[in-house]
Amino acid sequence: MKKSYAIKRVLYSVFVFVIVMALNFFIPRIGVADPAERYYPPQGNMTDAQYEIIKQLTREQYGFDVSTPQQFLNYVGGLFQGDLGTSFRSGSPGVMELIVDRLPWTLVLSVSTMLLGLIFGIMIGVIAAMKRGRWQDTTLLNASTIMIALPGFFIALLLSFFLGFELEIFPAYTDPNMVSDFGWNMTAILRVIENAALPVLSMMVGSIVGYAQGTRNAVIAVTNEDFILTAKAKGLRNTTIRYKHTLRNAMLPIVTSIGMSISGLIGGQVVIEQIFNWNGMGTLFLEANNMNDYPLMMGIMLLLSGFTILAILITDLIYVLLDPRVTVGDRR
Amino acid sequence: MKAVLKSIGRFFLKRFKGIRRFIKRVWAHRQGKIGLTMVTFLVIVAVFAPWIAPFDPYDVAERTTKGLPPSTTHLLGTTINTGQDIFSMLVYGTRVSLIVGVSSGVLIAIVGSVLGVMAGYIGGAVDSFIMRLVDVLLVIPTLPLVIVLTNVLGRDFWIIILIFVAIGWTGLSRTIRSLVLVLKNSNYVKAAELSGASRFHIMIRHILPGTSHLLIMSTALSSAGIMVAEAGLSFLGLGDPTAISWGKMLADAQSGGALLFGAWWWIIAPGIGIFMAVFAFMRIGIVVEEILNPRMKQSSGVYKIFKNLNSSYVEDVFNSMDEHAQIGEASSAKGGAHG
Amino acid sequence: MAEQTLTLRNLKVVFPSGMGLIRAVEGVDIDIGKGESIALVGESGCGKSVTSMSIMKLIESPPAITKMDQLTFAGDDIKDYTPSQMQSVRGKMMAMIFQDAMTSLNPVMTCGKQIDEMFMRHMQLNKKAAREETVKALELVGVPEPRKRAKNFPHELSGGMRQRVLLAMAFACMPKLIIADEPTTALDVTIQAQVLSVLRDMQKKHDVSLLVVTHDLSVVANIADTVYVMYSGKIVEKASVKQLFKQPFHPYSAGLLASVPSLSDTAGHFVQIPGSVPHPMKKPTGCYFHPRCHYAKDKCKASMPPLSAHDDGRQVRCFYPLKTNGGTSNV
Repeated sequence: MKKSYAIKRVLYSVFVFVIVMALNFFIPRIGVADPAERYYPPQGNMTDAQYEIIKQLTREQYGFDVSTPQQFLNYVGGLFQGDLGTSFRSGSPGVMELIVDRLPWTLVLSVSTMLLGLIFGIMIGVIAAMKRGRWQDTTLLNASTIMIALPGFFIALLLSFFLGFELEIFPAYTDPNMVSDFGWNMTAILRVIENAALPVLSMMVGSIVGYAQGTRNAVIAVTNEDFILTAKAKGLRNTTIRYKHTLRNAMLPIVTSIGMSISGLIGGQVVIEQIFNWNGMGTLFLEANNMNDYPLMMGIMLLLSGFTILAILITDLIYVLLDPRVTVGDRR
Repeated sequence: MKAVLKSIGRFFLKRFKGIRRFIKRVWAHRQGKIGLTMVTFLVIVAVFAPWIAPFDPYDVAERTTKGLPPSTTHLLGTTINTGQDIFSMLVYGTRVSLIVGVSSGVLIAIVGSVLGVMAGYIGGAVDSFIMRLVDVLLVIPTLPLVIVLTNVLGRDFWIIILIFVAIGWTGLSRTIRSLVLVLKNSNYVKAAELSGASRFHIMIRHILPGTSHLLIMSTALSSAGIMVAEAGLSFLGLGDPTAISWGKMLADAQSGGALLFGAWWWIIAPGIGIFMAVFAFMRIGIVVEEILNPRMKQSSGVYKIFKNLNSSYVEDVFNSMDEHAQIGEASSAKGGAHG
Repeated sequence: MAEQTLTLRNLKVVFPSGMGLIRAVEGVDIDIGKGESIALVGESGCGKSVTSMSIMKLIESPPAITKMDQLTFAGDDIKDYTPSQMQSVRGKMMAMIFQDAMTSLNPVMTCGKQIDEMFMRHMQLNKKAAREETVKALELVGVPEPRKRAKNFPHELSGGMRQRVLLAMAFACMPKLIIADEPTTALDVTIQAQVLSVLRDMQKKHDVSLLVVTHDLSVVANIADTVYVMYSGKIVEKASVKQLFKQPFHPYSAGLLASVPSLSDTAGHFVQIPGSVPHPMKKPTGCYFHPRCHYAKDKCKASMPPLSAHDDGRQVRCFYPLKTNGGTSNV
């Protein structure tokens, strides 16, 4: 039963990815009859005949000289070979190569934010739930009231201003040497940690508070469940009740919320990378946007969506492992 | 067609009365009072911006006032590169934030509820189409998608709002859908079905009213969310280039060297603007959520009451329960729990 | 009643709320003898569940405030037991069966594991030995294929089976007292009868005292020796089952009995008690039942009647008990 459910989830994720792929293919074609017009918009000083020639060249270069369905098939076929198209940049580098170059740097930020946010968030949330109504709990409540209204990029600017420029504790801009001189040695790794401190911190604050609040509510909701009363009536020790009964059940909504938060985290990172000049996919995406480099933009979009789908799939599968009740059907 | 318009009109008229009653309920909460007061304040600031702002925020001609810290003339100082009055910019920025946030929020409530009700009530292929669309939109990172769409469609004010709506309706429609699935099986909807009412009629007259609190909550919360997103977008320099917005102020501060030259007022001011607006709408949304689902909050409140209980008062109540207790004590023991 | 299992004196429980104190239980005395079966009857909100949970000290404080004069259990004065002392009493010496087995069992743990915990905690058995005991316990309450069922999660069992799992859990350590809070309310009528008969058989066979909390008089008739009728936080009548069903003394008890449909009831209609239970913060003066009582006189409005003793150990809280003025027909 469980296995078939897992297979269904995997297949559904593939289906969603295919739709995202189609959307990605379609978006640059919105509002133009010919994608060549999007890739190479008419310039003021061009005659119609000149523009026609340019369009023809563009079509040939980017494979728009076949029918639209054929273009889609070529696009999908390319994807399966790891080909996301060619960028507009000089030298026509492959989109895939550009992305692969930046990917590890983006992952450094998102994975460490995610892990630190989860660890601290769940810890704080559990403490607040256990000290319900006392200062630990009210502090969390007040902190989340304020934090929820502060956008991450504003926190980033404040941190960059105070910790970066004024107190000079951490670098306010990413050191370009971090990337160029990177190697698997202590100095280089320490330099990465030092430079990643502020970006991770500014994304982490919000996610800690978010996860903490979610954990607190989940734990309290479970505490009110009948089976916790049963566990108490059985005379079980507090630690047994807390870890085997309460937390085990509170994990379920927490796992779901992790899956839900990933898309927002990835989106928000674009701005944070820009603020700290971090050499990741976010800055690459903004560069692509400024140059109207559609193949690169859409390539990054597809990859980010793919990561989100994968992350949600993983949390879903973990959920299935944790909750014996999920067997058939969609739990949403 | 006329009947359709009539029933839509009647629906909104009724909603309007409901909203007035609802605002009273929100006002009864302390948090709601804070939210409503702040929103009213922001609306007044936005409407009367030209009278409130002491300087022309667009005026970049006056070069003598560059980089001034806050003073009585320039309440929040001036910008380093252009010498614009930051307080005036802040006041004008309210307009963009409120218009984009609130109109997207309202449109999201409409689109989200219509699609949610359709998915839940009609079911079948309509349902699975809408829900698959929700799943797809949920996995595409929002900000990059908005950026791509503004690139393709343009950065006009209204286009940005429409893009936010096109992306933002998903969460609400999913919630409404599950609510509708419950309502659908309720007796009054079944009775309407049996009496031969049309699907459209049932959706408008019987199902939508059951979701109205949720709509107000969603409008408040998604307005807040979109104000953050709009600020982010204009912070990246991708908002409407002609408008003064808080996000753009922050971007100017960053690129104009506010961080480097220690012009903290240039960063703090727009940040406070964003914070206030988002905070205000969030409060309202959270209070409505509490009204809808009171369990969470109550429990914490009880602990506070417990802490403040007067032990001699509790003793009195306990004594009044004894067998020999005299007449009238039971009633005198009511009231004044906060002792 | 040679040996007392439980003596509870003057239990009072209040809950703070935004509008004042909620007076849940107002001075309740309960006595349970060894092997005796007691029923605590009343409408929902009368404080009967709070009373039963207070005996196990399961009422959380904060927020609740509990006070009692005496709580003696199996010869021990457990009134001032610390939470950790109570932990070794609960489950081992007194156990509880809850209403809804679906929500009372941990959904992410197998039924067997949840019973294993009892043996591991109170008898210091290891996992394997505990499982053997669990299988035996399940067998005792009539679960077919107990070894297999033990590996099932609660949602995989039927309602009746789940309730039996709770029974097995309660009887696991053969406690001296079992408190059953609405043990059959969530079940179908036929399953109800089965579960009740298992409960009664187990109780009689192992000489366990039983406190059944219920609003269902048919359960009372089936299982109890002595009945306490509770109304708005106070005991209004205490009688043996036979006495009560033959001739209730308190008008409220009479009303409860009259509202039970019976096959012999040829008139074919329910008799309802007019009005509803008073709000726990707006209790009337005098006798709490007087606004709903046919026989209420001025005295009832003025003061609370005491719980007075009658012959055969009966107790009634009423100035004008029904024994003198006829049956229940005119209630």
